Amino acid sequence: MPDNNLIICRCREVTRQDVLDAIADGATTVSGVKRRSTAGMGLCQGKTCERLISRIIAEETGRNPADILPQKSRMPVRPIKLSVIGGADDE
Amino acid sequence: MNNATRYDIVIIGGGIMGSTVAYYSAKKGRKVLVVEKNDQATGSAGATDGVVGYHTKKPGVHMDLAVQSIALFSGLSEELGQNIEYVDNCGGMIPVENEEQWEIMEQIGKEQSASGVDIHMIGIKEAIKYEPQLNPKLPGCLYTSSGGKVHPIFMTFAFASAAKRLGAVFMNETEVTGVIKDGDKAIGVNTSKGDFYGDKVVISAGSWSASVGEMAGVPVPIRPRKGQILITEPVGPFLDCTVQCAQYYMIKHRPDAIKDEYILRTGASLSFGQTDDGALTIGATRELVGFDRENTLESFEAVARRVVKFFPALRNVHVIRSFAGLRPYTPDGLPMIGRVDSVRGLYIAAGHEGDGIALAPITGKLLAEQMVDGEASFNLEPFSPNRFAHSDVH
Repeated sequence: MPDNNLIICRCREVTRQDVLDAIADGATTVSGVKRRSTAGMGLCQGKTCERLISRIIAEETGRNPADILPQKSRMPVRPIKLSVIGGADDE
Repeated sequence: MNNATRYDIVIIGGGIMGSTVAYYSAKKGRKVLVVEKNDQATGSAGATDGVVGYHTKKPGVHMDLAVQSIALFSGLSEELGQNIEYVDNCGGMIPVENEEQWEIMEQIGKEQSASGVDIHMIGIKEAIKYEPQLNPKLPGCLYTSSGGKVHPIFMTFAFASAAKRLGAVFMNETEVTGVIKDGDKAIGVNTSKGDFYGDKVVISAGSWSASVGEMAGVPVPIRPRKGQILITEPVGPFLDCTVQCAQYYMIKHRPDAIKDEYILRTGASLSFGQTDDGALTIGATRELVGFDRENTLESFEAVARRVVKFFPALRNVHVIRSFAGLRPYTPDGLPMIGRVDSVRGLYIAAGHEGDGIALAPITGKLLAEQMVDGEASFNLEPFSPNRFAHSDVH
């Protein structure tokens, strides 16, 4: 039996139990788990937990892992300072 | 007709509006079905900030409705049994950049005060007492100490969960393909998972409401308006208020006063807040570009520039993500709430554009009253969907 207190998303300290609760509430996608548990909303933006969550959804729902939608990729891929894009001074 | 597929109220769309309408209807003892093509908070509510302010509203009926709605937010976490991270009276601020904006916002503040809210212009010295990080070179701002902020995603799920506990049924990943009518009365929906019947049918499909309206033969002139937002890494306490620049307000309610073509087209301006966990939400744009939900470098840059201009201390803070949501836009800037005269049993709760989070509780409550009690406790006439009865959607 997996330990349900296991941290799945380290950035947001979301446990396996939190992910299971999100699935029980109806989440069927990585993004659905994210919105319910905040897993993947932290500094690394799901770089580690996304695959783990995808696998748990597959196990719990019996869906084909290949059919479970990942979260959408958005800018920026790595954290970037506001000044790099928005200028360094207050004009 | 099978009893299992028969409901009092069938709601099309399970986002923030569908969930509040479901909650307040179920609270009145009605048997409710919510049909949602994706999942909760996948449309607008999942891609927005959490402003629950008066200061961003149009003076008059829009503002009056906001006052009614914001009154419902206090105690909502307890009522719904889930923390929605509502912060009461965090304050709201509209900083101006020049004399012309000062005059426009001063006038708007006076008109907004008529709704019974203390809102007025303050100079930069006083503004900095409330928000020490605000750029001291600005002239000042329109300010109110009232208004709040909330976690829009948690709020959507909290309403949906509370509705479920009261017996409402949510069917996700279920797409509505038709509205079933008996003569001039709506009696149910065709969906990808079968037909479902109800005495009343509600369209609360946000930016997608126009196509549902078409299924029912009712003009619903709602268009998706894209808003792009940036999210930063969590930082320490930086900002209490929700802050919108005067340009943001003018794009929304006074586009006539904006001369710059680029600003008019993209609506690039500042809507800024800090969430409970420390992340800063930096928006936004208002773009009529169909159902496109991509982020663009152009808007990323425009919004980043604005926040650094108003809050220079942010220049070294990291952006970790951008996102884009679709705000359901109506031609007159007011939501569509209430019964449809041309199709009996049909109701609409949609078209709140960027004010859906703030106005959702009152929308759900008043629509439930109109459907169940026959009349809402607050005049819905200015928001009646029938004002567009003869409009050409295409």
